[in-house]
Amino acid sequence: MDWLFKFPFTSKLDLESIDRVIRDFSIQNKVFFDGIKSGLTAMINFLYMILAWFPWWVYLILVFILGYSIKRSWKTGLMFSAALFLIGYFGVWDLMLITLSIVLTSVFLSVVFGFPTGILMAFSNRIHSILRPILDTMQTMPVFVYLIPAVMFFGLGKAPAVLATTIYAIVPIIRLTNLGIRQVEEEVVEAAKAFGSTSIQTLIKVQIPQAKETILTGLNQTLMMAMAMVVTSSMIGAGGLGMEVLISVNRIEMGRGLVSGLAVVIVAILLDRLSQGLAKGKEKPE
Amino acid sequence: MQKKSFFVALFLSCALLFTGCSTENKSDKTVVFADAGWDSIQIHNAIAGYILEKGFDFTWSQVTGSTAITYQALIDGEIDVYMEVWTDNLAPYEDDVASGAFEEYGVNYDDNAQGYYVPRYVIEGDPARGIQALAPNLKTVADLKKYPHVFKDDENAGKGRIYGAIPGWEIDNILFKKYNHYGLDENFIYFRPGSEAALAGVLTSAYEKGEPIVGYYWEPTWLLAKYDFVLLEDEPYDEDTFQNGETEFPAVRVTIAARSDFDEDYPDAAAFLKKYKTDSALNSEMLLHMQDTGDDAIETSIWFLKQHTDLLDNWLTETQAQRVKTALESE
Repeated sequence: MDWLFKFPFTSKLDLESIDRVIRDFSIQNKVFFDGIKSGLTAMINFLYMILAWFPWWVYLILVFILGYSIKRSWKTGLMFSAALFLIGYFGVWDLMLITLSIVLTSVFLSVVFGFPTGILMAFSNRIHSILRPILDTMQTMPVFVYLIPAVMFFGLGKAPAVLATTIYAIVPIIRLTNLGIRQVEEEVVEAAKAFGSTSIQTLIKVQIPQAKETILTGLNQTLMMAMAMVVTSSMIGAGGLGMEVLISVNRIEMGRGLVSGLAVVIVAILLDRLSQGLAKGKEKPE
Repeated sequence: MQKKSFFVALFLSCALLFTGCSTENKSDKTVVFADAGWDSIQIHNAIAGYILEKGFDFTWSQVTGSTAITYQALIDGEIDVYMEVWTDNLAPYEDDVASGAFEEYGVNYDDNAQGYYVPRYVIEGDPARGIQALAPNLKTVADLKKYPHVFKDDENAGKGRIYGAIPGWEIDNILFKKYNHYGLDENFIYFRPGSEAALAGVLTSAYEKGEPIVGYYWEPTWLLAKYDFVLLEDEPYDEDTFQNGETEFPAVRVTIAARSDFDEDYPDAAAFLKKYKTDSALNSEMLLHMQDTGDDAIETSIWFLKQHTDLLDNWLTETQAQRVKTALESE
């Protein structure tokens, strides 16, 4: 009767051979991975250089203006700048810039790869059914499972962090681009075609503009998810605000953890409100 | 019809529940160990757990969490026994022992080396693998200054990279001071690897690829038992200047601790745990066995106890030791 309550058979998989394959693969393709790594690193460093080139008050003014233009209220703008001011006041301004350079590079990569993928998915049901389980895996596979292979391939630092973040954050932009385009009404597309538009013209001039709001929501979600990976990517040495959180948690310093955690929250909220506001703000004149 | 099947389902799930209960262990003496996530603490848990189970009729379990979380749980009394407290890595440790937040039972081992390691092939080369000695005169930490081009950092052109300690560990501060003390900050980046898994990952992959690397690591670990790394020399240890990063590292005191009233509840078990002691070599031995055979912590602990039955005589009274040995024979 034992088999009724306990699963009757298990097999010991040859997990070591998987380890060996990954290890050998990383050794054989060292040049290839090193190339990707230096490319990514150059991108992140370039972005950081630009971000660090502007003095802090430029950001405060910029955030104020953006906040004002979104809500047409100087209170909102002031609140946003005050929040950003707090980050400098906490003494983590530089760390924020490092974090931003990693997050924004990941978002950039997500858009570059995710947007076309989403369009492909919208046009082919076959691709759609193949990609869906892959996207589910990317979103739910515990990050540490692929973090260590990423370390084997790319070493420690910002490049593997950007990669891990991109894998996680690219999903919403793909999903919502696909959804947005699929939701454009059939009649509208038919009409465009009836006037003699090619598929490409229909896509660029009708479908994408019609799906804009959904796609921008996807972009906003991608941004948020990239921010959510900040601490995780510090575990492979990415630096920035996440590292500060990690240090304080490991030292059981709750105050320090709270301050750096709060800085992450502020950056996330600002990015969220501003990107959402920009998405909506451009709709109004029409 | 629907109703009927619902009752059948209800009955079946009740039946399952009750059979579940009947297989519960009869013993009400339980001990909860801390599993802070690394291999050796899990093996020590399994060894102590096995002995408590066979020699003292305990049942045992582990609570898994990060070092910080499990340490807090020990103070709160949710965890009974912590087999490996790395005292150097926990800033509040001394104060907490002094204030009686928990009790220190003794030293598990304290003869472990730690510091900056480089693969042996970086210094001596490895003709079998076709690797040339890139830093033949590298002996001490101070010598590193001559070799930034060997250990180069991909993110910062022209500088070298030293892999430091896990952020937040006590040792991290000292390593950073050492980095400044030897003037390595001029041409090296002090890189915090973020987590143990990441540090182990980067050292392993560098070794497998035959690349030069220098990083902080510690013994006993399977990694240093398996791969041939050399510990870089430093000035002899001095208590006063060590904190400023000027000398080599002393061994870390790795202690066994238990919640504050554990010895009142179970004096026998506490007496055993207070005598429990291993050393760095024994730990390396079990970790290497685990890594090479793929055994889990429990299998490794039984293998280990079979190899070293003499330890049982040191830790236990004669009758207790005999009970455990009898149990071991039937494994």
